[in-house]
Amino acid sequence: MLKKYPTIKFISTRAGWYFITLLVAVTLNFTLPRLGPNNPVDIIMGQFGSGLSAHEAQQREERYLMEFGLIRMKGGEIVRDGEGRPIRTSLIEQYGSYVGMLAKGDLGTSFRSSEKVWDIILRALPWTLALQIPTIILGWFIGNLFGAYAAYRRGIFDKALFPMALFLNSFPFFVFGMLLVYAFAILFRWFPPMGGYDLALMPGFSFAFILSAAHHYVLPFLSIFLIGVGGGAIGMRTMGIYELGTDYIKYAKWLGLKESKVLFYVFRNAMLPQITGLALSLGTMVGGALITEMIFSYPGLGMAMLSAIQNQDYAIIQGVTLIITVSVLIANFSVDMFIAFFDPRVKAGIQMGKGG
Amino acid sequence: MKRVSLLKLLAVGALLTGLGFGVVSCDGGGDGGGRAGGGFPRSETLYVGGSQWGDPTTFNPIVEPWLLSWPVNDRFTLMYESLISYNTLDGSFEPGLGTLVSRDVDRVVVDLNPAAKWSDGVRVTSADVRFVFLLGQRFPSAASAFALQFISDVQVEELSDGTERLAFVINKDDRNNPLVVLDLLQAIRIPPAHIFEQLLAEHNNDLRAVQALKLDHSPVISGPYNIEHHNSERIVLKRRDDYWGNDALHGGNMPKPRFIIHPIYKNNDHFATALQQGNLDISQTFVPRIWLRKRDGVHTWFDEAPYHLPGTILFLVINTTKPPLNDVNFRRAMAAAINYTDIKELAVSGYAPEMQPGAIMSHRLEAKYFSQEDADKYGVRYDPEEAKRILAEAGYQSIFRPDGTLDHMLDKDGNRLPTLSIMVPAGWSDFEAAVKIAEKGLRTAGIDARESPVDGGVYWPARPSGNFDILISKIAENVTPSLPWSRFEALMSSRNWAPVGGETPMQENFGRYNNPNSPEYNPRVGQLLGSVPTMTNDDDVRAAYHELNRIFMQDQPAIPLVTIPEQLYQFSDRNWKNWPTSANPYAPPNVPWVGVNTKVLWNLESAR
Repeated sequence: MLKKYPTIKFISTRAGWYFITLLVAVTLNFTLPRLGPNNPVDIIMGQFGSGLSAHEAQQREERYLMEFGLIRMKGGEIVRDGEGRPIRTSLIEQYGSYVGMLAKGDLGTSFRSSEKVWDIILRALPWTLALQIPTIILGWFIGNLFGAYAAYRRGIFDKALFPMALFLNSFPFFVFGMLLVYAFAILFRWFPPMGGYDLALMPGFSFAFILSAAHHYVLPFLSIFLIGVGGGAIGMRTMGIYELGTDYIKYAKWLGLKESKVLFYVFRNAMLPQITGLALSLGTMVGGALITEMIFSYPGLGMAMLSAIQNQDYAIIQGVTLIITVSVLIANFSVDMFIAFFDPRVKAGIQMGKGG
Repeated sequence: MKRVSLLKLLAVGALLTGLGFGVVSCDGGGDGGGRAGGGFPRSETLYVGGSQWGDPTTFNPIVEPWLLSWPVNDRFTLMYESLISYNTLDGSFEPGLGTLVSRDVDRVVVDLNPAAKWSDGVRVTSADVRFVFLLGQRFPSAASAFALQFISDVQVEELSDGTERLAFVINKDDRNNPLVVLDLLQAIRIPPAHIFEQLLAEHNNDLRAVQALKLDHSPVISGPYNIEHHNSERIVLKRRDDYWGNDALHGGNMPKPRFIIHPIYKNNDHFATALQQGNLDISQTFVPRIWLRKRDGVHTWFDEAPYHLPGTILFLVINTTKPPLNDVNFRRAMAAAINYTDIKELAVSGYAPEMQPGAIMSHRLEAKYFSQEDADKYGVRYDPEEAKRILAEAGYQSIFRPDGTLDHMLDKDGNRLPTLSIMVPAGWSDFEAAVKIAEKGLRTAGIDARESPVDGGVYWPARPSGNFDILISKIAENVTPSLPWSRFEALMSSRNWAPVGGETPMQENFGRYNNPNSPEYNPRVGQLLGSVPTMTNDDDVRAAYHELNRIFMQDQPAIPLVTIPEQLYQFSDRNWKNWPTSANPYAPPNVPWVGVNTKVLWNLESAR
C-alpha cells in the first residue's frame, strides 16, 4: 500500500521497531527489580523491623505491601484469604497496573515522600541538562574543529594534538573527574570540590548565586568537556584524512577547485558519523550524568537516582531508568532519521524501496 | 558555514545553561521565603553532616523514624523534643519537655515542664504525650504503636503548682519491661496533639492520609530550631528565638548558631573533604586515619588512639540450627580462630579498645556488669592452636592441600561438610575488612568458611528470616538506658521463636539460638531476660548479667568481633569551638542534634 511512498514506509517501519523496543525496555524495567529473591518490603522489614513484636511486624508489613501495591485491595480494604493473610498480587496484575499507569503518563509516587516521581524528575532535570548539553555540544564542536584542522594541516599540530586527544579520550571520565577534584579543589583550592552552588546562598536570580553556580560549574564542565574534545578530534581527524584520500577529492583538486570549496566537501562528508556520535552522546547523557554528578555531588537526575537507591525508593529508580531508556531510544531514532535524509547513500536506498 | 554554526551552537549552549539555572533558581526560590541572595553568614551558621543521605522526604513526626528526614529522623530532638534524654556518659536522665521523677516496677513518672510551649504559643500538655504514646490504640499501624507492648496507659495528675505529673503504667500483661520504657521516653518525640487531631479530623480520621503530609512549611514544633528550607542539596534550620527552653532550661541564653545547614553529599569522602576544608563543622561520617586531619583542625573525642568511645559491638551471628554450626564446640572453635586485634587495628582504623569475650562491654556504663574473672574462665580468646584442639576433640577433620591451604572439612562421621558462607553487605568496607580477617583466621584453623559479599537486598531480609550460615551485624546500635539487656535480648531471646525461613520472621535472635521445642532448650535464658528489667536491686542485676554472659560465652550463639563507636564524632574547631571532648566532657561524644547533646549548641563559641 505504501509502495508509492517509500519515505513514509521507511519512517513507519522504523518507528514500529522502536516502539517494540520501547515495550521490551518497559517490560525489562518492570521485571529486573523484581528478579531478586526479595521484594522491597522484605528488605525494609529486615533493615528497620528490629524490636517489633510478631503482631506489629505483620501490621507494618501489610501497610508497606499495600503502599507498594503488592497485595490485592478492594474498596480500600485488604483482600484476605481464609486464614486472614493478605493475598499477594501476581506479577501479571502488577505489570498490568504498571503499564496502565505509564500509558496515562504516571510514573508513580515516591514511597518515602509521597511526591509524584514526575515532579522529582522535573526538579532534577534542569541541572542535568544545564551541565550536559552545553558541555557535550561545545566539546563536540571544538573537538571537530581541532580534528579537521589536524587532518588538513598535519605536521607538528597533528603530531601534538593527536596523542593528546587519544590520551584524553581514553581516560575514564570519572577518573579524570577525580583527578580534577584532587588538583584544583584539594591541592590548589581554586574551585569547590562538590555541590552545585555555595550552600550559604539561597538559589535565586541574584548575582551572588549565579556567580557561585558558575564557580561550581567549572570542574564538572571540564571533566566532560575535555574528554568530549578528545573524542571529537580523533573521530574527525581520522574521517578527514580518509576523505582527503578519496577519489572525488583528488578529482576536485585536479579540477582546480578552490581550497575552501574542497575543504567544505571534506568537512561535510566527514561530519556524518560525527553527528551520529553527537546525537548518541546526547541520548546517553542522562545515564552518563549519574557518575559525574556522583563525583561532584552535583545536583541533577543522577543524584536523584542515587538518592532513590539509598532511600530504596523503587518508584523513583524505575522512573529515572525509564527516562534514560526513552532518551536513548529517541536519540537513536533521530540519528536513524537524520542519516536517512542527509546521507545520500541511505537516502538513495530508501527511494529505491530498499530502506527499512 | 563553520562560523555560523559555532555562533549558533554557543548561543544555544548559553541559552540552555541560562535556562537551566533559571529553572533551578525558580525552584529553589519557592520555599526560600524571599531570602533570595541573602544567604546565611558563615559566622552564624553551623554546618553539620552525616545524618541525611538521600533527598529530603518528609518532616512529619508521626511517620516511622526511618522514613523521615533530618532533623526529625532517628532520635533527633531539634524540632520535636522527647520528654527526657539519656546521658550516655554518666547514665543520668536530663530534662527535655519533662523531668524524670521516679521509676519502679509499676510505673515511670515524669513531670511535664509547665513552661514548655509549642511554637504557636499553645502549652505542651499531657494531651500531647498521651496522643503519641497511645496512638497505637486508635491506629494499630501507627509508628509509635510498639510502645503499647511496654505501657498500658499514661495517667495524669495535676500538682498543686499546676505541673502535670505523668505516670507511664508498665504493661505487665505484655512485655512487663520498665527498662525499655526508659528507652521509649528518650526516643519518642512529642508531636503537637492539637495540630494532629485537627489534621485527622480534616482527613476523615485516615492516619495514612495525615502521614502523607510533609509538614515542611513552618510546622508547629516545640524544639529550638525549625525547618527553614530544604532541597536536594541541603536542609536549612533556623533558630527559634522564642524557644521555651531558653529561659526554662538554659538560663535565658539562646543557642549560638542562628542557622544550621546539613549539606546532602553522596559519599563519606565529600563530608571528610568538607570537614578538612572547614566547610563542615561536625560530621558523624567515617573519616579514616583521623590522626592525619588534626593539622586541618579536625578532632575527635580523644586526641590519641582509640580516638572514639566504644558504643556498640559488631558480631558474627551464627545460624545455630544448621550443622555443623549447631555444635557448640564448632562455634567455640570459630571464636578461638579469629584474630580480634587484627580486626581492631586493620578493619576499624584502630578506633576501638581491646575486645573482651562475651556480650557485655568492658567499657563505659556497662563495665559495672562485666566480670573479668568470668571472661577469663568461660570466654574464648584468639588462640589458633586451641581452635584446632577443640575441633579435633569434637571429631572434625580438616583436610589441607599440599600447599598448606584448607581444602575441605569432614564431620564426625567422615562426611564432607559444605563451605560455610559469611554474609556481609557488599561495599561496607569496614564490615568487609572485618569478615576478611575472620575468614583468614577460620581457614588457617581448618574451618571451611568464606566471605560472601551480598547486596543489601539479600542481606537485610536474611537476618529476620534466618536464611544464612553466618552473618556480620551490629546488635543494639544505639547506646540506650536498656543496655546491655537489649543486646542480650537481640542475641538470645526465644520469645518470638519461629523456624528458619518460616512465614513469620524473627526480629531478634537472628541465629535461632535456644529453640524452645528442642531437648537442649535452656529455659534459664528466657527467665533471666524476663526478670532483669524488673529487678530493683543492683546486686541482683549484676548477678543476672554475669549469668547471662556466662551462658552466652559457653554457648557462643554469636561471636563479638570488635567494638565500634555509637556515633562517629568528628568536629572542626576552625569556625566553632568548645566542642565536648574527653578533656572537656560536658556532653557525650555525639552530634548536637540528639538528646542531651543539644546543649552543645548553647555552649559553642564562634572561632572567627
